[in-house]
Amino acid sequence: MFVYEKQLQYPVRIKNPNPALAKIIADQYGGPDGELGASMRYLSQRFSMPLPELKATLTDIGTEELNHLEMIGAIIYQLTRNVSEEELKKAGLDAYFVAHTTGVYPASAAGVPWNAFSIAVKGDPITDLHESLAAEQKARTTYDNILRYCDDPDVIDPIRFLRAREVVHYQRFGENLRLLTDKLDSKNFYAFNPAFDKKCFKKK
Amino acid sequence: MTERDMLLKKIGTLKFAITDIDIFLDTHPGDTEMLSLRNQYESELKPLVEKFEKQFGALTKRDNQTNTWTWVKDPWPWDMEA
Repeated sequence: MFVYEKQLQYPVRIKNPNPALAKIIADQYGGPDGELGASMRYLSQRFSMPLPELKATLTDIGTEELNHLEMIGAIIYQLTRNVSEEELKKAGLDAYFVAHTTGVYPASAAGVPWNAFSIAVKGDPITDLHESLAAEQKARTTYDNILRYCDDPDVIDPIRFLRAREVVHYQRFGENLRLLTDKLDSKNFYAFNPAFDKKCFKKK
Repeated sequence: MTERDMLLKKIGTLKFAITDIDIFLDTHPGDTEMLSLRNQYESELKPLVEKFEKQFGALTKRDNQTNTWTWVKDPWPWDMEA
């Protein structure tokens, strides 16, 4: 169950609109390594996790990603407030505008709508944790690339916060992987699916 | 910074610290020191949320302190004034 709290995880207050910047930051809303995919990936992967610590981590990080999705949405919204159709066109957003006006729609910076093909749920905890670890690094790289185009401190500040969370989440998923392999027969870490082949756990 | 801003910032800072401790505890559930730090932050948070909600409206739908449904009140989190 989820309960909404009427506050962003980290404040977003952008004084100066900048639709060109909104266009690239949109990648973290609905792009392949964005926050929507992150949340859907973890909240779906958790069902087949065999250890309670792993269920807890994926639940809590998957929920935190919804906070981040909301922050990115707020950034895009504020960067495109009170901007004319000419300015949007100059920023390369005319194709977006014709379909969505200045609504916030989950698509990549290149305009490809969000797609579940950009996430994986394999039902194998080893496979899924590696996917999640990679996802955190891919998001971190995307934030680094976004920061290369940012010169507004109002935008840099929340983007740096989000980037730092990717690093913390990577650490936690690394701990998850270790918690899991510690329980497995060390001869066969990567040969079995711990959610399905129960024999791969250490004999008690 | 307005009084509302300052109070909301304090609340957000504590809530974030708790969130960060939560995911630490998920992989270190036996860490009693971190657990007591979490409890301390929760007890610091509670009176601040009560104070905020009484003055500026609901942050959650629980414990509505007023006679009106303040949940709908602007600003919402993505508004510039939030």
